[in-house]
Amino acid sequence: MSDYLSLEKLTLAYGQTVAVETLDLGIAKGELVALLGPSGCGKTTTMRAIAGLLSPRSGRIVIDGSDVTRLPPSRREVGLVFQSYALFPHLTVYENVAFGLRLKRVANLDARVKAGLATVGLEDFADRAPAALSGGQQQRVALARSLVMEPKVLLLDEPLSNLDARLRLEMRMELQRVQRETGVTMVFVTHDQAEAMALADRIVVMRAGAIEQIGSPEAIYTAPATRFVADFVGFETILPDGDGWLAWRPGAVALGAGLHRGRVLAAAFAGERRDYVIESTLGQIKADLPAGADPLAPGDEIAFDLPRDAAVRLAR
Amino acid sequence: MSRLATWITLGLVLTFLIGPFLIIIAAALSAGNSLAFPPQGFSFKWVVRVFEIESFRQSFAVSMFLAVGGTLAALALGVPAAYGLVRYRVPGAETVRLIVSAPIIVPGIIVGLALLQYLVIPTGVGILTALFLAHTALVLPYAVRVVTASLDNLRVDIEEAALLLGCSRAGAFRRVVLPNIRGGVLAAFILGFVTSFNQVPVSLFLSGPGVRTLPIDMIAYMEINYDPSVAALSALLAFLSVGIVFAAERFLGFSRYV
Repeated sequence: MSDYLSLEKLTLAYGQTVAVETLDLGIAKGELVALLGPSGCGKTTTMRAIAGLLSPRSGRIVIDGSDVTRLPPSRREVGLVFQSYALFPHLTVYENVAFGLRLKRVANLDARVKAGLATVGLEDFADRAPAALSGGQQQRVALARSLVMEPKVLLLDEPLSNLDARLRLEMRMELQRVQRETGVTMVFVTHDQAEAMALADRIVVMRAGAIEQIGSPEAIYTAPATRFVADFVGFETILPDGDGWLAWRPGAVALGAGLHRGRVLAAAFAGERRDYVIESTLGQIKADLPAGADPLAPGDEIAFDLPRDAAVRLAR
Repeated sequence: MSRLATWITLGLVLTFLIGPFLIIIAAALSAGNSLAFPPQGFSFKWVVRVFEIESFRQSFAVSMFLAVGGTLAALALGVPAAYGLVRYRVPGAETVRLIVSAPIIVPGIIVGLALLQYLVIPTGVGILTALFLAHTALVLPYAVRVVTASLDNLRVDIEEAALLLGCSRAGAFRRVVLPNIRGGVLAAFILGFVTSFNQVPVSLFLSGPGVRTLPIDMIAYMEINYDPSVAALSALLAFLSVGIVFAAERFLGFSRYV
């Protein structure tokens, strides 16, 4: 697999603070990749460097075979959909989408703007001001504004985090459809593992300026490589085991019978299930039971088991 | 009771704010030959007379030139300065901000004396040049402040979006920043214009043969001729100011920026 976008030994810094250190990453043409990690892990910094909004301290950025490391953002053919959408408030929806095309002096401007608006289903909103649109609509304008430029790489900053649950599903499907139809290489940044799992072909988990694990959503979900990734994707009970760790998801902990005993510390209703935190000699155990099971109350004594075959083993 | 007190307070405030203005208008429309209130008779002759006095015409032209030219010069310096101060972490930005505000803080009379003593006398620059520099400096703080306020409300990411869509830095400033701070720039212009036009203490030291600002000329005129033409001119200027502010409020929502 040849890389369409590659980051080679990329080191990024703000003044004295190094945000990303000697990062290597290759992304194939047409791939949809998520940069996943908690705030401060360097994912947004990496995205800004790909866009050219931040000059790397060292390393190279190559897009489609050419080194763009020293190119200004305007000449990289990279699109960016900002978390806040960053629409131009003084221009109509139509003019926002036309902005980049006008600068390029394209011949078929009107047709391309209209096609762009049609792609995101906003043909009827061309004459509106951005402020007159909902957040979801504004994001679609921002998406169209980038897409009409036919960028080589489309970057998206937390594309779903400002939307409510219903719109989130809609936007997720929309992004996947756009990606299928245009074949554009997409890289998006998120702190939400569910969002990354649902949308990406491949996930890059980042931590403290370095890549912790790269893999398909299934691989990251079922076989986290490190304790950090396990914790991040929902293995909430992590106990030391020899020279490594064993990690269980809440659902993998057997409650009600077993060798160990503990006391319920906290209980929370979560719709289909109830979540429990159990205090035991092993440490805190996070477990859950179906909502139909008899509820436990804080203070209740309970037996539990940590089945080894349901655990993931992590090297230290 | 408290309702009555409110009305009385409001009435007093309005009387003191608008009262002098009404007295000036009344005095301007007097038919008598000296500046007096209550006016003697009614006539437009002093209003007409204002336009016949040659020195008023000249000094009005000087004041207009200073107010328009000085304010434009202050904006040409102030808009980029405000942008730099807001967008970049310049070392010593606070010091620059302070220096830029100095002309507001330092009494005008001192600024005028200093300019005369250390600019006009040693270098021999013309009075008009000195006035122009002085008015530009006096208006600069307003330009920087008002434009800074509108830049503070402008998101940085729209400039970045413009860069990614093919703009150069300068292009992004012209196509995205300027259109969005237009109101602030116009507000700064009006504020600067009024400040410059009404300036007395600095201009007092900077007057020479044939070159005087209108307010200084009015003072000089009054020392010799105590007739209602000064009241007539004052009333005309007051209407001009009110007209400008109303137009600005009507078209720009001026009060949002000040």
